[in-house]
Amino acid sequence: MHERSTRDWIWVGLLGCLQLLPIVAVFLNSVAVDWAGTILPDGYTLAHVQNILKDPRFLLSIQNSLIVGFGSLLVTPFIVVPAILVAHCYFPTLDKYLAGLVILPYAVPGIVLALGLLRIYSGNYGIVLNGSPWILIFGYMPLAAPLYYVPIKNNLRALRVTELFEAGRLLGASDALILWRVVLPCVKQGLIIGLVMNFTLAISDFVYANLLVGGHFPTLQIFMGVLTGGSGRKLSVLITTYFVVIFVATAIVVWVTSRRSEA
Amino acid sequence: MIDISARTRILAWLAAMPFLVVVLMFEIAPLLAVAANSIQTETNFSLSNYGEILTSRFYLGSFKVSFLISIATALIGLGVGLPAAVLLKRMPGRVQQFVVICSNIGANFTGFPLAFSFVIMLGVSGSFTLLLQRFGLLENFNIYSTSGLVIAYSYFQILFAILLVLPSLAAITAEIEEAAHLVGASRFAFWRRIGLPILAPSLLGTFLLLFANAMGTYATAWALVGGSANVVTIRIGELTAGDVFSDPYLADALAMLLVVSLILPIVVEQMLAKTKDRDR
Repeated sequence: MHERSTRDWIWVGLLGCLQLLPIVAVFLNSVAVDWAGTILPDGYTLAHVQNILKDPRFLLSIQNSLIVGFGSLLVTPFIVVPAILVAHCYFPTLDKYLAGLVILPYAVPGIVLALGLLRIYSGNYGIVLNGSPWILIFGYMPLAAPLYYVPIKNNLRALRVTELFEAGRLLGASDALILWRVVLPCVKQGLIIGLVMNFTLAISDFVYANLLVGGHFPTLQIFMGVLTGGSGRKLSVLITTYFVVIFVATAIVVWVTSRRSEA
Repeated sequence: MIDISARTRILAWLAAMPFLVVVLMFEIAPLLAVAANSIQTETNFSLSNYGEILTSRFYLGSFKVSFLISIATALIGLGVGLPAAVLLKRMPGRVQQFVVICSNIGANFTGFPLAFSFVIMLGVSGSFTLLLQRFGLLENFNIYSTSGLVIAYSYFQILFAILLVLPSLAAITAEIEEAAHLVGASRFAFWRRIGLPILAPSLLGTFLLLFANAMGTYATAWALVGGSANVVTIRIGELTAGDVFSDPYLADALAMLLVVSLILPIVVEQMLAKTKDRDR
């Protein structure tokens, strides 16, 4: 048994390394002096990092991506999470429809939805959102919904909601108070996972950003597109920065969730 | 489920309402707009957009290439993702949780970051190209090609497969495995005769989602191969934002055909699953 588990760990480690390989490659390229025709770079330098810091577009694109990322976090959970909670607690029929709705973004490609948004919010119907970050913040909302729905629903299934409500009401608590003080803390873990995935989605997307906003509000991904075709050094630094942002967000979620499971 | 007063019921609906409005405005309405536009031309309503696509070797060819890439990468995703998920299932809970979060991030790792990292590794003077050439394992490989797309897509397809398969493995309980072990089944026999048949329905569902995921991939194809990749999503993007080929109505018809080709298999699979349940 022991031998088999060692072998399992080796396989898992191998998989992890393979998964990390592209990230390592980009990082090495961002600090390489020269890397052409050799397997590993000739030397290492921070010149490219200093170089890109002088480019005003770099800071602008990071700033814009963070605006979209945090903007999405400031709006999305307040709209998505209440719907998930009340559907689970009160409206089983609505819950069934929600389960279907959250699969929809997987079956309908982003580019198709982007086409539709382009048609509707360019002013033909009196609403102009395209060209501003608002279309991204609202457009990402249906795409982010499954990222909240799945983990929160997992938490909710483990909970005896009916009994919690009976007990709470017996003690004289209102339903709103029970939802806020009892149910919500129980789904905290799922909520945090949802928040990080939502953030990752918002700063990783290229399709919506490119078709709906483009040069009006260049995000990290748009700037990456601009830099493609050059030496690639600047692009590597940009991608590495993007990884660092995602890594920090992930580290926070792993830290918070593992602390919870110990408690 | 829980008894509620009329007042609470109204308040609860009010809490759910903003999300339903957002879904209507930013998910349902855009789809309807695309559908409505697809049966129009500059001047009148007609099905000519569909006629043009279905008789064009160019557009049908883009569907064929997308289909082949998607089937290949969905199979690769399942082929690697299933064993990986089985392996992870045996790991402690915290390792599982960590891998799930990492895979989720990795499944978002698409577009320029993914394409560029693969160019560094497997481009003309990429590390692995050189390494493999040194051992004589690689002669003419071009990352900016259909096979390049297959390799790049496989990265996120495998991670997406792990995420989708892992929960369904709960159906294979320790009791089933022990029982099979007691009657002397080898691991291979166990998976062939018991494990895979139990998982078959959810694996089919996973395959369809992976297929849809690859069919709908735009950013990675655009970042790696650009306009010369003849996949459906690139054609749609070109007709929408292109300077030369712009034809929004044709783009919408192409998009509708893409959606139908993705939803149809999922609907059929759901119906099959339902009749099977009823037979039991």
